[in-house]
Amino acid sequence: MVRAALTGRTRIGREPAPYAPYVPAVTVIAASFLAALPIVTNTGWYPDFGYLALISWRLLRADPWPPWWAAPLGLINDLFTGYPIGFSVALWSATMLVLDLIDRRTMWRDYWTEWALAVVLLSIDQSLQWRLAATMGAELPYWSMVPPIVISICVFPVSAWVVSRVDAWRLRR
Amino acid sequence: MATARPGWSRRAQYGLFFSFLAVIAGIVVGLLLLVLSLVAPKSFNEVRGAALNVTGPTAGALHEVTATVSGLFTGAGNYWDAASQNAELKRERVAMLRRMVEARAILQENRQLKATLQLREHEEGTIATGRIVGSSFNSPRRFAILSAGTGDGIRIGMPVRSPDGLVGRIIDAGAVASRVLLVSDRANIVPARLLRGGIPVIAQGRGDGTIDVRPLEVGRNPFKRGDIIITSGTGGLYPPLVPIARIVKLDDDGAVAVPLADPANTSFAIVQLPFEPAAATDLPATEAP
Repeated sequence: MVRAALTGRTRIGREPAPYAPYVPAVTVIAASFLAALPIVTNTGWYPDFGYLALISWRLLRADPWPPWWAAPLGLINDLFTGYPIGFSVALWSATMLVLDLIDRRTMWRDYWTEWALAVVLLSIDQSLQWRLAATMGAELPYWSMVPPIVISICVFPVSAWVVSRVDAWRLRR
Repeated sequence: MATARPGWSRRAQYGLFFSFLAVIAGIVVGLLLLVLSLVAPKSFNEVRGAALNVTGPTAGALHEVTATVSGLFTGAGNYWDAASQNAELKRERVAMLRRMVEARAILQENRQLKATLQLREHEEGTIATGRIVGSSFNSPRRFAILSAGTGDGIRIGMPVRSPDGLVGRIIDAGAVASRVLLVSDRANIVPARLLRGGIPVIAQGRGDGTIDVRPLEVGRNPFKRGDIIITSGTGGLYPPLVPIARIVKLDDDGAVAVPLADPANTSFAIVQLPFEPAAATDLPATEAP
């Protein structure tokens, strides 16, 4: 960290906040709670904010929270958003597992790799929602899921940026 | 799960192994919950209602703020050309008064005719009124959040309407807020008929704010642009004669219609008793998620 030495700020005594380990999980819950925004639309094109926050944190760091926390966080997301209960629990846990397996294979990462991973994960999330809606009696043509997928892919860099700022704040970097 | 190789520490190796087990357990529990909520949707009614008690009032409070802000702007805009607006409103009022006298006469005549036929009128019991404060804006399903709940007497399965037309029916009820399955949801099928001619049709949402309308009898396409679809009361859930939608586009064997009660612009929604109370008990079990 040669460049950090040039900034002039002393780093002595600047340790992470005592609540730092809980900040990532709290931001994911806050993102899930965005479902309570007073937005009334006739199209479901807004991104799945909770899942966006989850993968943004997990792609930024390997250990934002103990991996089993994904299950209760998913339950909270299901309750706030009105998804069928168990959907986010299973999907978020599976995401943690899959990203760990990917971490073992990949030698290096850059922004484009992360975005590509996010594209795959967000497409899987929306496609599963579509499949689940069909199971529950709401069969829609698949092209109706294209706008929400594209929108959430475009929102991912913003979410990743916000998460990286929050990470820097909680670690007092 | 932090690193791929935990090193030679037996403790670190076990920690990695157990965290994998915990995640796999999370997936299994999630899948079990999901199957349960698909097979027996009623099993989570209490939990979902409790969650609505958290999100509903928040959405309601934020809705107040946005409504106030937008009200300030439209209120200021109304002053802009108040004189011409005033004249126009006066003209409308005179026309309305004339129509109202006609309507009152028709109402009286109708009452007399019904009395001679000895028809018994069904009571349209209004349970509660609420505002639509939120929606499922990040899901392919079409739900709305209503700012009234079981505390106001709302039960799952009750029909919801607004002064403009049918909104949907209650599928989750918390103490102070409830979730409405909108008529534009794909899983919401409403028995209806054409106002012009009374041909029985089926209205099914398309998931994007519009409604598919199909005639029950196969044959010539009976629809015209601008036709109004109203509920028929068949099935006993929705009361009859509630306007649903206006037809905007014809296709080969039916038509596409736009709901008359746009949830985004509906100021107040009215929750009513199911038309035939027996319908409320069996409908959610078959159709509600």
